[in-house]
Amino acid sequence: MKVAMLGWEYPPFKVGGLGTHCFGLTRSLADKNVKVDFFMPKTKHSVSSENKNLVIKEVGETEIFPYDRPEDKELAGKFFEAVYRYNELLVSKVKGKYDAVHCHDWLTMKAGVKIKEKTGTPLVLTVHSTEYDRSGWIYPNQWFIDIEREGMEKADKIIAVSHFTKRVIVEKYGIDPNKVSVVHNAVYPIGEGKKTNVVLFLGRLTIQKGPEFFLKTAKKVLEYEDTRFVVAGIGDMLPKLISQAVDLGIANHIIFTGKLTEEEVRHIYQISSVYVMPSVSEPFGITALEAISAGTPTIVSKTAGVSEAFKNCLRVDFWDTDEMANKIISLLRYDPLHNMLSKEGKREIELFTWDRVAEKTIDIYRGIL
Amino acid sequence: MPSVCFYFEVHQPMRLNRFSVFNIGQNMDSFSKYFDENLNREIFEKVAKKCYLPTNKLLLDLIHEFDGKFRISFSLTGTFVEYCEKFMPTVLDSFKDLYKTGAVDFIEETYFHSLSSLYDTLDEFEDQVKMHRQMIKRLFNYQPKVFRNTEAIYDNRIAKKIEELGYKGIITEGSDRILGWRSPNFIYKPVNANLKVLLRNYKLSDDVGFRFSARDWPGFPLTADKYAHWMSHCEGNLVNLFMDYETFGEHQWTETGIFNFIRHLPGQVLKHNHLDFVTVSEAIERYDVVGDIDVPWAISWADEDRDVSTWLGNDMQIACFNELRDIGRKLKQHKDKELLHTWRLLQTSDHLYYVSTKGFEDGNVHAYFSPYDVPYDGFINYMNILQDLKQRLD
Repeated sequence: MKVAMLGWEYPPFKVGGLGTHCFGLTRSLADKNVKVDFFMPKTKHSVSSENKNLVIKEVGETEIFPYDRPEDKELAGKFFEAVYRYNELLVSKVKGKYDAVHCHDWLTMKAGVKIKEKTGTPLVLTVHSTEYDRSGWIYPNQWFIDIEREGMEKADKIIAVSHFTKRVIVEKYGIDPNKVSVVHNAVYPIGEGKKTNVVLFLGRLTIQKGPEFFLKTAKKVLEYEDTRFVVAGIGDMLPKLISQAVDLGIANHIIFTGKLTEEEVRHIYQISSVYVMPSVSEPFGITALEAISAGTPTIVSKTAGVSEAFKNCLRVDFWDTDEMANKIISLLRYDPLHNMLSKEGKREIELFTWDRVAEKTIDIYRGIL
Repeated sequence: MPSVCFYFEVHQPMRLNRFSVFNIGQNMDSFSKYFDENLNREIFEKVAKKCYLPTNKLLLDLIHEFDGKFRISFSLTGTFVEYCEKFMPTVLDSFKDLYKTGAVDFIEETYFHSLSSLYDTLDEFEDQVKMHRQMIKRLFNYQPKVFRNTEAIYDNRIAKKIEELGYKGIITEGSDRILGWRSPNFIYKPVNANLKVLLRNYKLSDDVGFRFSARDWPGFPLTADKYAHWMSHCEGNLVNLFMDYETFGEHQWTETGIFNFIRHLPGQVLKHNHLDFVTVSEAIERYDVVGDIDVPWAISWADEDRDVSTWLGNDMQIACFNELRDIGRKLKQHKDKELLHTWRLLQTSDHLYYVSTKGFEDGNVHAYFSPYDVPYDGFINYMNILQDLKQRLD
């Protein structure tokens, strides 16, 4: 079996779940003897593979990786241009016989559709997020939605990262539910470290991830518990969040880390006592699995895909900062609760392997051969 | 000739309010603060309509129809009776009507359906048994002879205490672990006490309680004549069928045919000349002890494990249990009756049951009964309340 996978980001360079997913999936597919040609834009980092079944093919060049929705108009223009150029290049570079072409999100959908039309190769599409998620369900941009809908309609099979996302695909994009399979994400476990008095938010600082709810919660917790709050990541909301922290009078308890390296990300997961993912919209939320794999009890938004799949975590409505604070304080105060969530979470995380994701993906490939 | 001994457990816990860390130390009337009156009333009225009232009526009719040959026993918890008296006295009246037939027996237990039998000293346990005794005396002018501890929790220490308190018999699970090759269909004696032990036939009991509507069970569909036929082939003196009363109409809905099953059961059982019905008191009067049982570690009828791990199986449960016990030590130095009653309502085993993490990933029976999303939420809520109660004592 040979697959052309059209990617965008890939470690060491990545900004979101898409890159993490492609990395885990391609390695496990290769281990299971699926030949994968992974196409991606050339970056400053060089990317390579040790497995002969996995060939990384760098196509063209781009310096712009804002992931999805740059606010800045000029940057947005450059970004869309880069994506457009990359898609055009892909159509000419993906040559030879493949059993399937597999793309991820809107970023490579146009190329996938064109290759399918040109060569008749079956098209598989993984949806990591939709425009509705990225906009936090506020003013979604029709331009993206149209690209997404065309890709979904033309795809032979769609993989959704959660039932939550499957519902969006079916209800918002009008896709036949029988065409959509759910494959939950996985994680390479990080391993436990020494916990310190830190409550962590880690993610892009965008409306989708709900960082402002994290700060409101921090304010409530700080009235009862003396602890530090770390906001890790970058994004368009950073300036606003900094002023919010000042306005709330909690600036000296909040640390904004800016962008972290992979090593720093692992470290911050390990030393945190609580991880909070208050996303307004979260198709899956791999970061929750990463935190749990580091033995860090995790509070996730009820609507996050991970909360439908993973049991040993706490769930809240993203807007319910009182309940979020109640849960954080309880985790800080009650050791048996903290210890059990940490222990049981690490045990359950062993079920969330990329091998399982690859197996399910192979089943889906087989279904369209 | 085996006698069929039906016994039903009738219990409703006082479910808790959502109580966050921010509520700790706020001054309010403790009872309404801890317990969710609206939810409790709603659930009680629902279960009364689906189960208690129709089942009591059906059983009353059957007792009359078979001229008292159909005989049953009940255990009513104190919290259940408090609900009846507060929200629906007619439910209690219907139990009184059943008792008047002479075909109904009552069983003693702890008033609060608590785990007080597992404390290091048994004084609180004894208090709660005596409270229950007074309640049954008040309601029915009757003194039960047989005791059954919360969820049939039993060990040698409890048996000894129950003998001291004057009971003639005690009920527990017919656990393979204590019986080995022996049958639960006989009466046994604790190694260390002069009591008759009635053992639940868990296979036949669970056929009704758990499997009645399970389509993938080979016994499905379970009919009254099939069930009576199985019992007629049982060895021994007694078939002890002990189950939650809410089985009828609540765990097994009307649509499953559970009421039809019960309606036809007495007739089908009495068709077999060698079968009859007995109450628990009659069972221990009629049959003799055939052997000893030795139970150094507590057993129960809960879950697959049939021990106390349902309530004390993880560190969160143990932390709550210890906290509750320690609060009690302090509380008994105060002379505040209302606080004492609140503390005791918090001892109801259901609160710890909701914190059980056993198999919760498979969405098992615990999740069905729990008002919480996950056991962790059950812990947070319960522990917050215990912290509040503790602060009141300081």
